[in-house]
Amino acid sequence: MTIALHPAAAAHPRPFLGRHIGTRGRERLLNLFAYALLIVAIGIIFFPLLWMFSVSVRPNIEVMRMPPDWLPQVFTLEGYAKIFQNKKFLVVFLNTMVVSLIVTALSLFLGAMAAYALARFNFIGQRAVLMFLITTQMFPLVLLCIPYFRIFITLGLYDTRTSLVVVYLTFTLPFCILMLRSYFMNIPRDIEEAAMVDGCSRLKAIFKTLVPMSYPAFIGAGLYTFLLAWNEFLFAVVLIESWENRVLTMAIYSLMAEFVTDWNTMMAFSVLASLPLVVAFIFLQKFMVQGMTAGALTS
Amino acid sequence: MHAFRQKYREEVLAFSFLWPSLLILIALLIYPLIDVIRLSFYDSNLQRETWVGLGNYATLAMDPLFWRAFWQTVVFTVFSVALHLVIGLALAVLLNMQLNQTFRTIARGMLIVPWLLAPTVAGMIWVLMLQPFGVVNGLFAWLGLIDANFAISWLGDPSTALGSVTAMNVWRAFPFFMVMLLAGLQAIPKQLYEAAEIDGATLFHQFWHITIPQLRGVITTIVLLDSIWTFRAFDPAYVMTGGGPAHSSEVLATAIYFDGFQKLKFGYASAQAVVMFVVLFIASAFYVRRAMSNAQ
Repeated sequence: MTIALHPAAAAHPRPFLGRHIGTRGRERLLNLFAYALLIVAIGIIFFPLLWMFSVSVRPNIEVMRMPPDWLPQVFTLEGYAKIFQNKKFLVVFLNTMVVSLIVTALSLFLGAMAAYALARFNFIGQRAVLMFLITTQMFPLVLLCIPYFRIFITLGLYDTRTSLVVVYLTFTLPFCILMLRSYFMNIPRDIEEAAMVDGCSRLKAIFKTLVPMSYPAFIGAGLYTFLLAWNEFLFAVVLIESWENRVLTMAIYSLMAEFVTDWNTMMAFSVLASLPLVVAFIFLQKFMVQGMTAGALTS
Repeated sequence: MHAFRQKYREEVLAFSFLWPSLLILIALLIYPLIDVIRLSFYDSNLQRETWVGLGNYATLAMDPLFWRAFWQTVVFTVFSVALHLVIGLALAVLLNMQLNQTFRTIARGMLIVPWLLAPTVAGMIWVLMLQPFGVVNGLFAWLGLIDANFAISWLGDPSTALGSVTAMNVWRAFPFFMVMLLAGLQAIPKQLYEAAEIDGATLFHQFWHITIPQLRGVITTIVLLDSIWTFRAFDPAYVMTGGGPAHSSEVLATAIYFDGFQKLKFGYASAQAVVMFVVLFIASAFYVRRAMSNAQ
């Protein structure tokens, strides 16, 4: 390609024309490069997800063909049908939903109370409590499994959904406290003190001013808590035995053990298990990203 | 009583809000920790417990399987974290360029999706893809890298099992780095780059002398956090390979689980868990120090 330029082109240098492109041209070239690379990256990152979906809608014989067909040759929903016809799987969805919702509600309620104490009062032991909360997030969960297993057998709570709700608080509660605390600290205490001067009790003042004002933190922390509970696996494996008390992650794992070759059903199940989180994410991306990153930045 | 209330007014108020959470967390974390430490001095199989002193720790020190799991955990952690950082940083830099706002939001959203999946689900997808008949072999055969008739069993071969588990973990968890680093990049003042531009600094120089030093705080924090999380991870190895074949992808978490819940050697499993706890505790001490200085 020649560099002899048309006058109009010289006035508006195009990115691909080499040496004389100047700062603006270089920037546009770089941006074009960024778009291209990002699209390639999305393609690569999304490939496993697309593959999961594509296997979930093809008949099982097609799955094991080598070389693989990039697109399903026969479109079928038999994988999904198997799940919706089996009551066992619907129970699992319901269990996971109920456990995750209760854990989220409890973590937000108890977490908000503790966060309020940490954000608003100066008390002896405050530093120790904060340090304890940060350290709990680093605990090896497999260590806790051994005593939990023994304790819940003794208490007669082994193989119950209640045990899951309780133990999930070990990692969701500290996170909720820390995230809500940092949000509360950015809200001036004058606001609820003004409400208290107007005759509200402290609790009423909190519910009328602080809680509504920090709704983004509640949504963010709530969504991330829900995600953690929904995706948890280790405690479920250790504490649950019967099918009627199982949660999704465990059901998927047992599916693999039981029907080693039923790949379309397993991928259909995986799609369904991920769907609620992905849908929530599409609508609440901003809050969710906030919640996900807040755990690391406890400031 | 009245004087006490006056003097410790803040304490009384604070603990009236704090006690439910504190009680739950102490019951769920401190008591079990003490119980595990106690159990690590016993030989226990649920029914009976026999005092063995430091016996479990002596066994552990001589157990080649424990050390193998330990080093494999270190390898798994180092490669996962390093790749998370490289991929996350590259994508964050790309997303931070002057892009169309809608495109940026959509691209960021799409790149986060793997992080929403349960490690179990992500593991399952990769198990399917890595089968001898799977799409990874299909892809390599299509590219001419392998012969389609001699497909590799990625999870069945001891030399590729741990790498496969690491690859899945890299794919699932890099968005955390991307999101955190993007937030860090957006906080860097634009003037720094403008000044460097005037001084004639190349893009590489700007990246090395402005971007990296400005991100150092965020990078240290997330590398520490991710190291701790990856070191204790159970799901990826358990779901994809069950630690096999022949312990080639065994990590500490799966080793402890199998010793405890399959071989019912709870005392020995506890001793291993205590060692793991000490390692994590040392690492988290660095993190806690950083987090505490941020928090106050």
